[in-house]
Amino acid sequence: MKVLEMKHLTRKFGDFIAVDNVTLAIDEGEIFGFLGTNGAGKSTTINMIAGLLHHTKGEIRILGKDVTKNKKFAKSHIGMVPQDIAIYEDLTAYENIQFFAGLYGLRGQKLKEQVEEALKFVGLSDKAKSFPKTFSGGMKRRLNIACAIAHRPKLIIMDEPTVGIDPQSRNYILSSVRKLNEMGCTIIYTSHYMEEVEEICSRIAIIDHGKIIAEGTKEQLKAIITNTKDIWIGINSTDTLDLSQLKLINGVKEVKVEEDVIKINSSADVNNLNTIIQYFIAAGIEIRTVEEQAPNLDTVFLTLTGRNLRD
Amino acid sequence: MDFWIIMTKLILLLYLAITYTQSQNEELAWSIFSLLIYFCLNILIYIVKNKKVKNFILLLSLLFILGMQKEIYPSLIFLLPIGLFEFLSYDKRKGWIALLISFLPEFIISERMQIQYGFVTLVSFLVFQMASLYSERITSYIAKLDKLRKDMQRLSKNLNENQAYIKQQEYTSKLEERNRLSQEIHDSIGHSMTGALIQMEAAKSIMESHPEKAAELLQNAINISKEGIESIRKTLKNMKPQTEQLGINRLRLLIDEFSSKHNILAPFTYKGNMDKITPIQWKVILENTGECLTNILKYANATRVSIDIQVLNKFIRLEIKDNGGGVEKVKKGLGIIGMEERTAAINGTIIVDGSNGFSVTTLLPLMM
Repeated sequence: MKVLEMKHLTRKFGDFIAVDNVTLAIDEGEIFGFLGTNGAGKSTTINMIAGLLHHTKGEIRILGKDVTKNKKFAKSHIGMVPQDIAIYEDLTAYENIQFFAGLYGLRGQKLKEQVEEALKFVGLSDKAKSFPKTFSGGMKRRLNIACAIAHRPKLIIMDEPTVGIDPQSRNYILSSVRKLNEMGCTIIYTSHYMEEVEEICSRIAIIDHGKIIAEGTKEQLKAIITNTKDIWIGINSTDTLDLSQLKLINGVKEVKVEEDVIKINSSADVNNLNTIIQYFIAAGIEIRTVEEQAPNLDTVFLTLTGRNLRD
Repeated sequence: MDFWIIMTKLILLLYLAITYTQSQNEELAWSIFSLLIYFCLNILIYIVKNKKVKNFILLLSLLFILGMQKEIYPSLIFLLPIGLFEFLSYDKRKGWIALLISFLPEFIISERMQIQYGFVTLVSFLVFQMASLYSERITSYIAKLDKLRKDMQRLSKNLNENQAYIKQQEYTSKLEERNRLSQEIHDSIGHSMTGALIQMEAAKSIMESHPEKAAELLQNAINISKEGIESIRKTLKNMKPQTEQLGINRLRLLIDEFSSKHNILAPFTYKGNMDKITPIQWKVILENTGECLTNILKYANATRVSIDIQVLNKFIRLEIKDNGGGVEKVKKGLGIIGMEERTAAINGTIIVDGSNGFSVTTLLPLMM
């Protein structure tokens, strides 16, 4: 089942094209990452999915239904965690969640249960009666997430949820994203932090200037650039080295010796670092340094667009 | 437009005829006569092409209606409004003035006809307005269609010209290649064959007297022949042009020409296995580069443009980047849209970035 389908989605602001002919489908159970620089069109796309912005052209379907014709249906199945924290400072944490869940039509016992559940989920049960102004940035974020999930949406959209918070809250948020996913939610996650996206997303789209320039699992994306990795091993002396033995190791394509550094070029999808190191140990060669030069999403982005993810 | 007005008039006429049979009007002959005259005048309106004459006849028919309704046939007044609208306005914005004027006769006609007259006026007004609205729309659509047709014609002409140009180019390079081939044969193979021949002839003539010397000469001839064969092999190998060479050389030609003509530095770099680029991808690369260079000339005010091709594992990446002023928000013109369409046709993407100079990046998936 496709939770979200976008076809030829386009949004113009005057002459400026913020989102340009984006076609994408997201399956149930995915954590889908949008990776792009600031101003690449991530938030515009997300705001259109959430119904906060109209699209100029194209089509968005949530659970198979067109969002422009089924606004209420679409909204009740989406939970949106916006980039800028949207909570009321003069309502308690509990009241905040109660208010937002109430907007989706939850009432009475059900409302109470789900609000408490959401609070528990983000680990703020003991802060239910406190006001957000006393919260840290990370806690506010978590409260914001709770507001978005109390009505149990199928699709949760998180727009840069880890911007400007401490590492601990960041880890908490990342693990709760995983937990939500295990509970059956489909998640769209945008970030310009490559590491986060690489860590939690099952599929990733790289967006630049409003266009999707590449899409796939992180392995697929990395394979765009190269299917090899370089392993550089610094050793003390090359006297007892037998290159032909090294070349026999599974995946190794090429071995070069530059002074006291052995440069091994190997298939990226074979995990052979252990075997390679074992060879050196068995041969009684002392290893000084090991460096693996495999492409990451940053390099993918840089190679494809010519620019860094974070300028 | 005319069709709708004629139909309305016809319906009104039929209505008049029906009401006539039910009334006790004595002036039968005159009434029929006036109807026929009206009929004739109105047919004439749509036959005549000249606008002034048309308006004149229209006015005549209106005056006729006014004249006849007073003495002979009062119901004829019902035909007045539609004629009035037609006369006063082919411009539908003036319609309201025409509507007001056409209500004036309300004061001169008999009381029992006032309601009917008002109704007929409104209906006529409605029909006239709708008809003129739709006919305007149709005219604008026709104009649009015409424009599209012209555009298409122009584009297909361009396409044909381009194809002819490409063919011409291919033919020229074939000729060049042939020239090179004959030169090569003359230079290397010809020489070694002649050399070998001379040695062999010499060997033959001294075979009897100095057999050892002759054997030496023969050995020389054999060596020369061997070298000759080797050089034939080499020549043939070099001769067979690789698609990559065709593409890359054409691109180089384009860039060098641009660089020397316009005095803009244009370094060209490439990385990766260029063999993997198919001819159709070369075509897109060439066309996009051409388009970019033209754009740079037109808009960028740049002194340097770098062209870089990288063949990655799954993608080919062409980047054309200038050091000009760039632009904060890129507006897509026909050129960029053209590049986009070309590139999309072979599943590629274009990234246009104006933040630091102006760069156009073409990403094409490798066809395996």
